[in-house]
Amino acid sequence: MDMKIIFRCHIKGWLCLLGPVALLLAAGALYAPAMADDDTSAQSGLQQLKLERAVVCEGIEDLKPINPAITFSIERGSIMCFTRFAAVASETYILHRWYRRDELVSEKKLALKPPRWSTYSSMQLRESDKGPWRVNIVASDETVLTILRFSVTE
Amino acid sequence: MPLDPLTGVIRWQDVIDILLNTYILFRLYVLFRGSQVMRVMAGLAFLYVFQRVATEVGLIVTSWAMQGIIAAAALIIVIVFRNEIRSVLQAQNLRAILWGVPGKTAATPVDILTESVKELASRRTGALIILPGREDLKDLMQGGVEWQGLLSREMLLSIFYNGNPVHDGAVVIEGRRVTRVGTILPLSQRQDLPQRFGTRHRAALGLAQNSDAMVIVVSEETGKIVLAKGQEIIDIHDIQVLGHHLRRHLGIVPEPGKGFKRETVKLSAAALICLVCMTGIWFSFTRGIETLTAMQVPVKFTNRAAGLEIFDTSASMVHLYLSGAGALVKNMGPDQVKVSVNLSRADPGKNTFNLSSSNVALPPGIRLNRIEPAVLSVTLDKLAAKNLPVQVNWAGRAPDDMRITQASVSPGTIRLVGASRQLEAIDTIYTERVDIGKLSASGKLTTRLLLKQPTLRVADGADDRIEVSYVMKKREAKKS
Repeated sequence: MDMKIIFRCHIKGWLCLLGPVALLLAAGALYAPAMADDDTSAQSGLQQLKLERAVVCEGIEDLKPINPAITFSIERGSIMCFTRFAAVASETYILHRWYRRDELVSEKKLALKPPRWSTYSSMQLRESDKGPWRVNIVASDETVLTILRFSVTE
Repeated sequence: MPLDPLTGVIRWQDVIDILLNTYILFRLYVLFRGSQVMRVMAGLAFLYVFQRVATEVGLIVTSWAMQGIIAAAALIIVIVFRNEIRSVLQAQNLRAILWGVPGKTAATPVDILTESVKELASRRTGALIILPGREDLKDLMQGGVEWQGLLSREMLLSIFYNGNPVHDGAVVIEGRRVTRVGTILPLSQRQDLPQRFGTRHRAALGLAQNSDAMVIVVSEETGKIVLAKGQEIIDIHDIQVLGHHLRRHLGIVPEPGKGFKRETVKLSAAALICLVCMTGIWFSFTRGIETLTAMQVPVKFTNRAAGLEIFDTSASMVHLYLSGAGALVKNMGPDQVKVSVNLSRADPGKNTFNLSSSNVALPPGIRLNRIEPAVLSVTLDKLAAKNLPVQVNWAGRAPDDMRITQASVSPGTIRLVGASRQLEAIDTIYTERVDIGKLSASGKLTTRLLLKQPTLRVADGADDRIEVSYVMKKREAKKS
């Protein structure tokens, strides 16, 4: 089990920022209805934290989740939980709580920085990990932003 | 002195036990003495002794046959002697059954009777007079007229007067009254009766040999007096002898003081015999060969606090290892042994109880040696309800190039009812395993909820079927 925190902030001045942000927000708005599995509309009211995308996937490449799904073969060896926040008002953190059935397996604290941030945590899989899982994405004030449900299969 | 029968000492309960049963036996003797019931009871007692001896000696078939007869004895007695039992119970009030000595107070005026019989004989007036014993004669007698007249010499002479319509039948005398006249009696079928005996004599004997009644016959032809009692026929030549027989039959003694003393001695002897018999029976029951037995008994949970439910027990049955006298163990029924656990002080959650003899109710004389398990845990909790999200439990192996990217379930949440602590511990309710190896394209399927905890159930008996809509897509290859 390892954890990586990736942040990449694209700040090249006001003019550079406005265009991509607008495009990303528009893309996020279009993408959200199709992602019934990850409840991305949740917000942390205290910190104006807007979760744009949350998925469990096979890997991350170029800050994009690869093969997001809700079933993963144990043979993959590891899986990742990717979260992208469209609006981060101030430096804060979130928690990725990994549960196998109702048992807490791991809790990962991930930093978030303004104005946008993407981050992920990963989970190494073992033979005994087959079964239903969930990852609770929790804000620093313990608000559950979303719950991602998936299964580890043969 | 408080003593235990199993340790060789007699407790006060045992003394009461023996005395109570002695009195019951004594009352049965008092109520049924002189009747055929007592003779049959004596016969059964003999059979019992005979059966025990046969068992001890090793006579297998004899012992088995005797055992069968004795087992059916209660039924036989009730059926065969229903009339006698009925007459005792109907004729006596409760006080007389429990305390009194029946049949000795309502004295029939023997002198009037003997004088009347003498007069009838001298006039050669045929007569048939019944003096009932303890047995009911209703089934043996037919016809007749209800009379209830106070007994007098004149009345008897007039009843048997030739011109009287009822003179041919028998009269029944009970106490001081003539209760019935013109009664028809069954005729004896005996072949050994003298030729001089006519129908009247056969009728007298027919009743006497089938009951404990005494019947007086006055021959119309010879004027001779005959007494019939049981199988016996007694010629009466002296009226004093008749009086003696009548008094004996009716339980009337000529000298009250002496008779009372004799009766007291007789009853005391009977009471003593009853005491000896019952003591013997008691010892044979309680001092028999020590026998061990094991029983599986359900545990009864009592005094549960309102609002608390039993959600789990480590055992619902316990094994009891018991010992006691062979007869007591053999006669012990499963409903006589009870195990109970008092939950009045139990709290929500897991409660542990050490089982001991205080939890076990046993019949007297039976001893508890061991309980398995000796410790019982009972989980109590309040009944609660909770809405839980439903998650599909995907399993199996998907085709290598395919992945399920989305799924939605309907209903998305289920309301579960069960122990509040168990409900607190779970956040999701899962479905049965859904094999993804059988899926090849997006679609819908139906599965069911899998409730692993037996105490949980879907609220209001709602359906536990879950509809799943899923989306399958091809996997993207990773950039290397």
